[in-house]
Amino acid sequence: MGELIAFYLLAGIAVATALAMVITRNAVHSALFLVLNLVVVAVFYLLLGAPFVAMVQIAVYAGAVMVLFLFVIMMLGAERVGGTTGLRWQVPLAGALGAALIGGTLFAFLRAPAGLAPVGSPPVPFGDPAAIGERLLTTYVLPFEITSVLLLIAMIGAVVLARDSGPEGK
Amino acid sequence: MELSWWAHLWSVLPEIVLVLAAALMMAVDAWLPEGRKRELGYWAIGGLAAALTVTAVQAAQLAGGIAVPYEAFGGSVRADLAAMLFRVIFLLAGILTVAISMDFRPLRQSGEYYILLLISVLGMGLMGAAVNLVMLYLALETVGIALYLLAGYLRDTPRSAEAGLKYFLFGVFSSTIMLYGLALIYGFTGEIAYARIAQALAGLPAPAVMAALLLILVGFGFKVSAVPFHFWTPDVYEGAPTPVTAFISVASKAAGFAVLIRAMIEAFPTAQANWVAIMAALAFVTMTVGNLLAIPQRNLKRLLAYSSIAQAGYILIGIAAASPLGVAASIFYLGIYTLMNIAAFAVAVIMTNVTGSEEIRDLAGLSRRSPGLALAMLAALLSLGGIPPLVGFFAKLLVFAAAIESGLLWLAIAGVLNAMVAFYYYIMVARAMYVDRSPEEEKPVWISRPARFTLWFTVAGVLLLTVLVYPLYLLAQMAAQAF
Amino acid sequence: MLQGYAVVGLYLLLSFALLGVVLLLWWFLRPKKPNPLKLETYECGVQTVGDAWVQFRAQYYIFALIFVLFDVEAVFLFPWAVAYNQLGLYAVIEMALFLLLLLGGLLYAWRKGALEWA
Repeated sequence: MGELIAFYLLAGIAVATALAMVITRNAVHSALFLVLNLVVVAVFYLLLGAPFVAMVQIAVYAGAVMVLFLFVIMMLGAERVGGTTGLRWQVPLAGALGAALIGGTLFAFLRAPAGLAPVGSPPVPFGDPAAIGERLLTTYVLPFEITSVLLLIAMIGAVVLARDSGPEGK
Repeated sequence: MELSWWAHLWSVLPEIVLVLAAALMMAVDAWLPEGRKRELGYWAIGGLAAALTVTAVQAAQLAGGIAVPYEAFGGSVRADLAAMLFRVIFLLAGILTVAISMDFRPLRQSGEYYILLLISVLGMGLMGAAVNLVMLYLALETVGIALYLLAGYLRDTPRSAEAGLKYFLFGVFSSTIMLYGLALIYGFTGEIAYARIAQALAGLPAPAVMAALLLILVGFGFKVSAVPFHFWTPDVYEGAPTPVTAFISVASKAAGFAVLIRAMIEAFPTAQANWVAIMAALAFVTMTVGNLLAIPQRNLKRLLAYSSIAQAGYILIGIAAASPLGVAASIFYLGIYTLMNIAAFAVAVIMTNVTGSEEIRDLAGLSRRSPGLALAMLAALLSLGGIPPLVGFFAKLLVFAAAIESGLLWLAIAGVLNAMVAFYYYIMVARAMYVDRSPEEEKPVWISRPARFTLWFTVAGVLLLTVLVYPLYLLAQMAAQAF
Repeated sequence: MLQGYAVVGLYLLLSFALLGVVLLLWWFLRPKKPNPLKLETYECGVQTVGDAWVQFRAQYYIFALIFVLFDVEAVFLFPWAVAYNQLGLYAVIEMALFLLLLLGGLLYAWRKGALEWA
């Protein structure tokens, strides 16, 4: 019961912050609402019994990635979005598509065919860091090391981006 | 079965060599004096060639039955002949690309460029070998990020920057959509390994599988630039530095096909009826749109972009056939296509260096200006067009035969008609070189030694394989048996 | 298992409440006599000029980017740290490889001048 109350409370905050992020005209405020949204989602992960995923969500998404977002916003000096955009027709279209998505999802949930039973249930501490660490370093050691290569290219990408930028940068 | 640590390493030996080469190159680049940066190209070729040697030995062992295919790293990658042959394609494409980059004015002397190229080849090798979703996605992203950076490498020229950004936006968008598909699959089955997914999908309702399949195909379609996921192709090909374009058009496309073939055959055998229909439709639309839009192009790189879209269509025919012959035909086609297309782009690189322009009309008089270069381009174009007796003809023959064998006669006929349309624009380029005159005919064309190597290698390869069609086909057939 | 987090949630609520109480308390207690000098950003020192909404230098972006990379790396260190008792030397070697590659990347970026302020 307590979990249900917590869920509805958090779901309300999540939806509200997501809407606020889209609606607000100030890009910095948008980013801050997104931080709040990401934190709430992290709490959802906790409720689902995945503490490690929640931690990653906070550290990487709400932390580092949002810092990057804010840097870009400040760098471009684009914190205040102008009044209206030229793509007015997108608004009703986005509304219609969004409604279609919600309708489709509802339909799928309400009329789920019998064949779609849950595929087993995940082990309860699903994101148990120790278990993750063990799998990561034994079974999935190759993907793990490739992640390092992926991060390496990102670093080289930083070198490429930093190269030859004049005093004003670009 | 418990594998020894050596068996694990053996499955990714080429990638290990490439990581070491990349690390070495970082050290060399950081401490090489400014005046000697051109040598970096040779270091890159050395690293790629070392990996190629290893791969060739491994492929020979697998083909000769000395080594048996197996899965390593908890079912992340498979070591089989197909994976090795695809690696050969990527590594060859890498070496040839480095060779045409070394004297391409804006690119030479930058270490980051070669390192990114090396790592993208590494990622492609893993794409070809990946047999679970985690490895697949990681490999795709590794390749993707490296290629976005390469496409936008010349940040100071607006066109390259635009190409990088466009490639990035389209790439990220399609890979996100693909990720939804992968998540759906994981949600439906609770598995990430292809073979287990195939088992678990058997009991699922078709619409659910279909939804996931379509989402995944968006990502793969982007990689192979199949219509309707091709919108990025002409702009990125035109804007990216020409050697990078050559690399993307060949290696990235082959890698896309490698994952496409493996995923379709190993993870979705139960949905085969569905994906065959999708592939056939994609193949038809892709080659038709590619060929028709190629006709009005005046820019050589744009023309080659649309031509490469059309070529992807032919290769998709082989996959639509969904038979051992079809897969063998696709692999065969990809191998040939690598040589032909790099040859064409090598000429484009050389001409850009000389004339500073990428227009087809600036090829005018090339046959008098540099007969060898014109001949190389002609061989590449005719082979791309599928003119007998060049090996490109056999590649087309094989995919069409595979389509007929699988009862897709209409697709084969459409393919033949398309090949005729394509012939027209390839001949237009040849006409510019051989018939049109230009006031600059007297000026010789300077071709650097590495670029000359690329030209010789690719053209000789095309000609040699024309003679050795049958052994190559046998090899492709053996690789296709891996699935 | 969720009970443990309930304490965290309660603590969160409590700290928000405490903050609110303190702010409200001050609101009631403090005298309100604003004057222009008081409303300055800094009570003494140089007058502030212009807006606080200014453009950052693009160079900072590189730092943010590299920060993200090392943040992701740190995320991998957590499960490693709790798992390596079971795995021993094997895990140490794997993590060393992972870190060495990134360290190499950092040194490379440094050497290539990506971290310069110029």
